Amino acid sequence: MEFDVVVVGSGPAGSTTARFAAETGAKVLIVERRSEVGVPILCGEGVSQKIDKWNILEGKRWIANKVDGARIFSPDKTMVKISADMAGNETGYVLYRDIFDQELARSAVKVGSKLMLKTEATELLKENGKIVGVKVKKFDDTFEIKADVIVGADGVESKVGKWAGIKTTLKPYDLESCAQYTLTNVDCNNNYCDFYLGNKIAPGGYVWVFPKRKDEANVGIGVLGSLSEKGMALKLLDKFIASHPELKKGEPVRLIAGATPVAEPIETVKDNLILVGDAARHVDPITGGGLTTSLEGGKIAGKTIGNAVKEQRFDKETLSAYEAGWKKAFGKKLHRNYVVKEILLDFDDKTLNMLADSVKDYNFQEFSTLSLVKALVFKHPTLLKKLAPLIKLV
Amino acid sequence: MEKPKAIVDEKKCLACGGCISVCPQDALSMCGGRAFVTTSKCISCAICIKTCPIGAIDEEVH
Repeated sequence: MEFDVVVVGSGPAGSTTARFAAETGAKVLIVERRSEVGVPILCGEGVSQKIDKWNILEGKRWIANKVDGARIFSPDKTMVKISADMAGNETGYVLYRDIFDQELARSAVKVGSKLMLKTEATELLKENGKIVGVKVKKFDDTFEIKADVIVGADGVESKVGKWAGIKTTLKPYDLESCAQYTLTNVDCNNNYCDFYLGNKIAPGGYVWVFPKRKDEANVGIGVLGSLSEKGMALKLLDKFIASHPELKKGEPVRLIAGATPVAEPIETVKDNLILVGDAARHVDPITGGGLTTSLEGGKIAGKTIGNAVKEQRFDKETLSAYEAGWKKAFGKKLHRNYVVKEILLDFDDKTLNMLADSVKDYNFQEFSTLSLVKALVFKHPTLLKKLAPLIKLV
Repeated sequence: MEKPKAIVDEKKCLACGGCISVCPQDALSMCGGRAFVTTSKCISCAICIKTCPIGAIDEEVH
């Protein structure tokens, strides 16, 4: 079996890469080890509305709900509200991630990509030390797929990168260990995405409540791997729900576990092999959100690969346009947010409470760094010292 | 007695892949839709046990 490009993984990054490569005329195959694209869902299902601007997704079937903004609760439950009109009318969607992923796969297939389910990549094919494809297992059959470009879109646990010698192993400090219930019979009439902070609530992470509809919400938790103990994420999530007056009335219709890289991005091009999405650690280290970067990065990857196929040049130099592209698009932001993550991890509950108290009445519409800093230190002058490393970054 | 090695309870595992991503020895893989430990590679560091969000990994003395 021979293709120009083989993409391992049919998540958002894989499908988007496939689509833009196929659109340029490349012969693309996506292999997916599961039996259904997008299932099981491994996601909080929240995403920024900025994906609308990219015109990558058709229709609206993948949208479960459009929220009115976000509310952040400090450990003592001081609320900081950021509504749509404050954030430049750009808030967020809560998704049906299975439909979302299938929609992206559909647009890859529409332009000619092939998709193979229940097909697991087991190793790289090499000839004279050169990567020439992947070996796969589909039910009882094992066979070889030859390709000029290999794309690792195989998620947080990426093996493709590892096989090529890229250091993909995450330190526990760079991983959020997650669990999430979809709770039904809860009142979500507020229609805000809620975030709860606190070292007792979610050490090195947060609890989120994303309303999927009026009476249903994704309630999840992320705990930093280095602060986690066996089963901690689920235990703390259960505790949070039991102590929440509204959420404790709900019943779960779904339980998922998850793992989110909150790391610095890694090397993403090795000879004729490239990594995209979670496999490339293209995730915001503060929020743990990786959908927008997966789509943006996937598009850059697909176009770069399409161009390489056109020119029949598969050297690192040609494919490095992808790495230069994503670095320009969001590399700086990911790096900066990683530094911010490290600073935020040092904040104790008292500091988080002071922060929330200082900005709870701040008008984000008239945002400027100076006015925000003024608001912060006006009420709690001791914050200045804690925030100094952050202020330097802005 | 040998050091205890990690073992995944396949009835509990929800296949999130977290343990695989943090294993410093590449001893974990997805196998049949569940995480699986290659015991010979495990160095008993217990990182996977601590990281598992739902407590599906234990240690076992062979």
